[in-house]
Amino acid sequence: MHRRPSFPKDLASPSDPAIFEAAAAEFPAAFAGVGETGRRQLLQAMGASLALAGLTGCTSDEPDEQALPYVRQPEYRAADRPRHYATAVAGIGGYAQPVLGTTYAGRPTKLEGLPEHPASLGAADAFTQAALLGLYDPTRSQVPRRLGQPADWGAFDAMMVETARRLDARQGEGLRLLTGQQTSPTFARQISQIVERWPKARWHVLEPVNEDQRLAATALAFGRPLQVLPRLDLAEVVVSLDDDLLGPGPQQTRNARMWSQRRIAYQAGQGDHRLFVAEPTPSLTGVAADDRLAVAPGRIGAVGQALAARFGLAPAPATLSAREQAWVGAAAAALSQAQGRALVSVGALQPPAVQTLGLALAHRIGAVGTTLRLAEPVALAPPDGGASFGALVAAMAAGAVDTLLILDANPAYAAPADSGFAESLRRVRQTIHAGLHVDETAHLCAWHAPVEHDLETWSDARAVEGTVSLIQPLVRPFYAVRSRHAVLETLQGRPVASGRGLVAATWRERFGAAFESLWAGALRRGFVEDTAAPEIAAAAAAIPAPAPHAPSSGLELVFRPDPTIWDGRFASNAWLQELPKPLNKVTWDNILAVGPDLALAHGLESGDIARVAAGGRTIEAAVWITPGQSRRTLTAFLGYGRRLPDQVGDGHGYDAYEIRPQATPWALTDVVLSKVGGGPRLATTQPHQALDQPGIVRAVTPAQARAPKPPPADAVSFYPPVPKDGPQWGLSIDTDLCIGCNACVTACDAENNIAIVGKDLVAEGRQMHWLRVDHYVEGDPAAPREAFQPVPCMHCEDAPCEVGCPVGATVHGPDGLNLQVYNRCIGTRTCSSYCPYKVRRFNWFDYTGSDPPERRAQRNPNVTVRTRGVMEKCTYCIQRISDARIQAKLENRAIADGEIRTACQQTCPTQAIVFGDVSDPSSAVSRRKAQARDYSLLPEENTRPRTTYLARIRTNGEGG
Amino acid sequence: MARREKGREIEKITEIPLAYPRPRTWAAMFAVSAVLLGLYLVSVGVLFWRGVGVWGEDIPVNWGIAISNYIWWLGIGHAGTLISAMLLLLGQDWRNSLNRFAEAMTLFAVVCAGLYPIVHLGRPWFVYWMAPYPSTMGVWPQFRSPLTWDFFAVLTYLIVSALFWYIGILPDLASVRDRAKTRRAQVFYGLFALGWRGAATHWARWRRAYRLTAAIAVPLVVSVHSEISLLLAAGPIPGWSSTVFPPYFVLGAAFSGFAVVSMIAVALRHWLGFEAVVTERHLDLLAKMTLATGLMTAYGYFAEVFNALYSGEPAELAILHNRLTGPIAWSYWGALLGNFAPLQLLWLGRFRRNPYVLFAVSACVASGMWFERYMLVVSSLSRHGLPSSWGSYSPSFWEWSLYAGSLGLFLTLFMLFVRFLPIISASELKGEASPEAAHA
Repeated sequence: MHRRPSFPKDLASPSDPAIFEAAAAEFPAAFAGVGETGRRQLLQAMGASLALAGLTGCTSDEPDEQALPYVRQPEYRAADRPRHYATAVAGIGGYAQPVLGTTYAGRPTKLEGLPEHPASLGAADAFTQAALLGLYDPTRSQVPRRLGQPADWGAFDAMMVETARRLDARQGEGLRLLTGQQTSPTFARQISQIVERWPKARWHVLEPVNEDQRLAATALAFGRPLQVLPRLDLAEVVVSLDDDLLGPGPQQTRNARMWSQRRIAYQAGQGDHRLFVAEPTPSLTGVAADDRLAVAPGRIGAVGQALAARFGLAPAPATLSAREQAWVGAAAAALSQAQGRALVSVGALQPPAVQTLGLALAHRIGAVGTTLRLAEPVALAPPDGGASFGALVAAMAAGAVDTLLILDANPAYAAPADSGFAESLRRVRQTIHAGLHVDETAHLCAWHAPVEHDLETWSDARAVEGTVSLIQPLVRPFYAVRSRHAVLETLQGRPVASGRGLVAATWRERFGAAFESLWAGALRRGFVEDTAAPEIAAAAAAIPAPAPHAPSSGLELVFRPDPTIWDGRFASNAWLQELPKPLNKVTWDNILAVGPDLALAHGLESGDIARVAAGGRTIEAAVWITPGQSRRTLTAFLGYGRRLPDQVGDGHGYDAYEIRPQATPWALTDVVLSKVGGGPRLATTQPHQALDQPGIVRAVTPAQARAPKPPPADAVSFYPPVPKDGPQWGLSIDTDLCIGCNACVTACDAENNIAIVGKDLVAEGRQMHWLRVDHYVEGDPAAPREAFQPVPCMHCEDAPCEVGCPVGATVHGPDGLNLQVYNRCIGTRTCSSYCPYKVRRFNWFDYTGSDPPERRAQRNPNVTVRTRGVMEKCTYCIQRISDARIQAKLENRAIADGEIRTACQQTCPTQAIVFGDVSDPSSAVSRRKAQARDYSLLPEENTRPRTTYLARIRTNGEGG
Repeated sequence: MARREKGREIEKITEIPLAYPRPRTWAAMFAVSAVLLGLYLVSVGVLFWRGVGVWGEDIPVNWGIAISNYIWWLGIGHAGTLISAMLLLLGQDWRNSLNRFAEAMTLFAVVCAGLYPIVHLGRPWFVYWMAPYPSTMGVWPQFRSPLTWDFFAVLTYLIVSALFWYIGILPDLASVRDRAKTRRAQVFYGLFALGWRGAATHWARWRRAYRLTAAIAVPLVVSVHSEISLLLAAGPIPGWSSTVFPPYFVLGAAFSGFAVVSMIAVALRHWLGFEAVVTERHLDLLAKMTLATGLMTAYGYFAEVFNALYSGEPAELAILHNRLTGPIAWSYWGALLGNFAPLQLLWLGRFRRNPYVLFAVSACVASGMWFERYMLVVSSLSRHGLPSSWGSYSPSFWEWSLYAGSLGLFLTLFMLFVRFLPIISASELKGEASPEAAHA
């Protein structure tokens, strides 16, 4: 007896079996030979057989789903056509990152932001782009383990049934559940089920980078913990006190998208747009700021207080330097001018007292309810709130824990240094770990259960603004893994249930009678409409006590999540490991940020190893001299120093958790810094970040930006003009909008099958990224001007590379593309020698031949995988151009403006990149290039690039 | 007395291939060369097996000592043709004592040079795509590329040098054949002597062919290194893109070539006792040529600096600054020091005629020119274009081993030449000695 398979439904295969049957009766040809097995499975099966021959094990819980390859190609169903599914990945903090997944022959090959979702609007950050690679990680956990040895699910289930029986006898006393932060409604339903059945069971949360202090602050100010949602699209003046609004994190896409909306309106002359940032360590928000103040972490409170004092909210603090005074004065003036259109935001990592001050100030300037929305917290709150993890460890130490199930958390690595988790764990009778990897915690637990990746699982999750996404699989699980919900179900001693059924059960409750249609609609759309967290009209903020201002005589240290690895959860993702950190372009390592003065005083150079001692603990870390760092502050980045034998992330960098205390998780005072000596070379993709050359990064005043563009000088060339035919492709990159977030680089990795080469080769200057984001630092190292500049191929009209190639492997297309013909390339590298922009990348070794089958399955089938010894470079995503051209030809029409979007453009949260036909004056890219801000890189080379830049707008118009 | 001495030595030239006078020394030297040649083969093997990544090259410095050695070797391969062909046409009889081994040096140096661009390819097995051949795909080389010009220039130079050398050696091969006692030697030299009987018609045709080939070879001396310079100068790269490059390269090439000919002349003269054939006068003339071409090369250095300063281009000035003070300034100052400081000794006649001094000065020049080629290739590439993509370069073990190996290839070929072929043009020396030949 065949059961209908539980797979996602797209538009073409409706969920109702009756419709399927009717369709089969109507179109017998299309269904011929398919028999009892659904067409979708066949696609899935074919994908699986193509990609994973020898690897797929059918999951035991779905025995009726056969995996068969196509023998005959079904009519009208070409296997090379992509299919798209709206879903989400549960990203940082459990928040949904809505995506539109592309699959070819059943293999997911690309994720894009979900255009209709209010938190994405089509954009996706680097973490979300890279989630795709996580699916194909060959070092993922593939089978259950008992005491480190492979076991089977039967044994695991038997153990779970036994455990449940034991727990039943004492109402769940001694059962503890530890997870990462969760937003999933199905998870909430299952937890309440567990607690209902076993009232003495308890759920705990460990989220190393959390919002506990923000929730505490809102609780102080408004009487209950609330979610703070900035509306940067409405804020003409933003004052950030150590709040990295545009930096990496679950809110980045939404914030950046909104910020750019305001910025684009400002560029068009609507209203003002100014950003004031006071922060101890440089951030993406700091780079985007008009006025950035480097200030010691302990003094953020004082600066905030001075700002509040201008609005009569607090007594003025005693000591403020002239520079601080000036910054506070300018910020206060801007805020009071723009009341109701201004925002004050204090970082979630700041102490609650400073944050309440900020909330009071926001209230005073009319931000609350306009530019700052308050809502019920989206993340599920564990019973003990912020003290959740501490309570668990205390119970474990007291011997009160019988069974501990750890799901998607890694306390053995990421717990505070003084928590004593590992010692307490020995007193727990039964330890079970469920997660994607055999990580540090898995090694300490008796049992390990591998779980499904978000792209092969059923679940649900909420985005930062509350909208619920349904997570549906794009592909069948590769290995013998289970959904998280199924693991929670077996914990209760129940038979294994399908993930789909568990999620559907949650929504059957909510949707009620209209379940079928609402469920189908939500799956198609990828999210449940009207589930955003409703705004709460908050009562007046409590007037806070003046922020405690603790002057520190020694050095201070702040902790930050790593910009690409976060709290360590992405350590196994090679795209994110090789993604250059935005501000120092270091890959595969975390660094200890030290300001130039402090480094000089300690005789430190970038790459040296320094010892950091605080509170009786020490770490040794590689130093990076960081311009713009506050003078006596160190920044340690979490997420590295992993101990993951045989995994990608093993052993890189240092472990900052080793000195991170439970009491003050974000800052340390009285830190002692000493030099140890030279260290191994750090792999940075940009050794020279100082900009001493004019014209590369440009800035103009607002008035200049709106002036008409001067006519271009006549281009002179010895060579005859290249014949042009059809649309002329070009790209415009707005450096005024670019925040350096790296989403484009990761999108390019995924779209164009970019090889990952590893730390050693990056250190030798052999990274393969087609698109890089240059970071420049200019002026006084203590208070520098910084700039980001994404650099893809310039597609020069007079391209020096084309002249250099002896075999014509790089040639000019009639549409202005500078083409690279891989199979004609013999590898003389002349093209790269002649390229002034150095955007070409060479295959020094065979980077792809030894890829495991999983990695091959990820590749975009429309992009050639390059072989050893050939040159490659950005193609403007020529496969997308071809696709659109073919489609337009089939439909006998011209390619519409905006129809083709390059991968970098599509994912960019700030819409900094625009691609299109430059020969059409009405196209978006032509309108951009017609602006006075438009300029070419290295115009003196007379290469006439098709990629041009828009200068940044600065009120004083100077430099970068 | 000296005349009789010279006559004996001329006789000796054609006897050496049949009964080598110092077999032990030769065997030892050959063994060293062969080991180095083995290193060459191993280095190429590793390179082909694993890919160009075994070298220290990167983006932006994707040409390293492979290309700088290529230019260096080709430069050395210049003096042979210059001495033989140009001086032949100018009627400078003193060249007869030097031309044969200078030509051999040219040939072997061009072989060493020519292999470099092939092995440095990402996919060396497709090197034939650079040749215009009737491909079924209808693809053709890209004629705007300096590398295509390079391909033709080097190939032409190799063919003409080989022809010129072979035509020149023909009468001497016949002499060796005639003196050979063993059957094997008779057959071997007989085959290569192409039936030369020394008839008057042979001599007349030989002379015509020799002079004709010389006339073809002379322009190549200028063209080939001019062309090599375009490999750099045709690219839009500060520090490379300069019209001074062709003459600068040609003169530099002649300079290094004369230096290496001087070294070989001194070595062979001592080793095999040719003091009467390769006299102090020859050393003096070689030293003068080295000095003269050296001074012209110095002008090239000056012109390069002047051009950068006079242009006022920030990029050109930055490259100049980088060369003089940057991370590879050692190569600039090394080149300046090696090329021009010891050279000044050659103003004095007693140093010019002193073989030890001449050898030492020439060795300095050869290494100085190596530094120069390295400096030119690396300094510009490492600081080209956007500051974000500036980089650095340090050659890896396999690059050094390939360089040492290419010296081994050169020495092996040269050792075989010294052992088995007449190393000095006996027929021309004889002709020079006989009064009637003076009018030829």
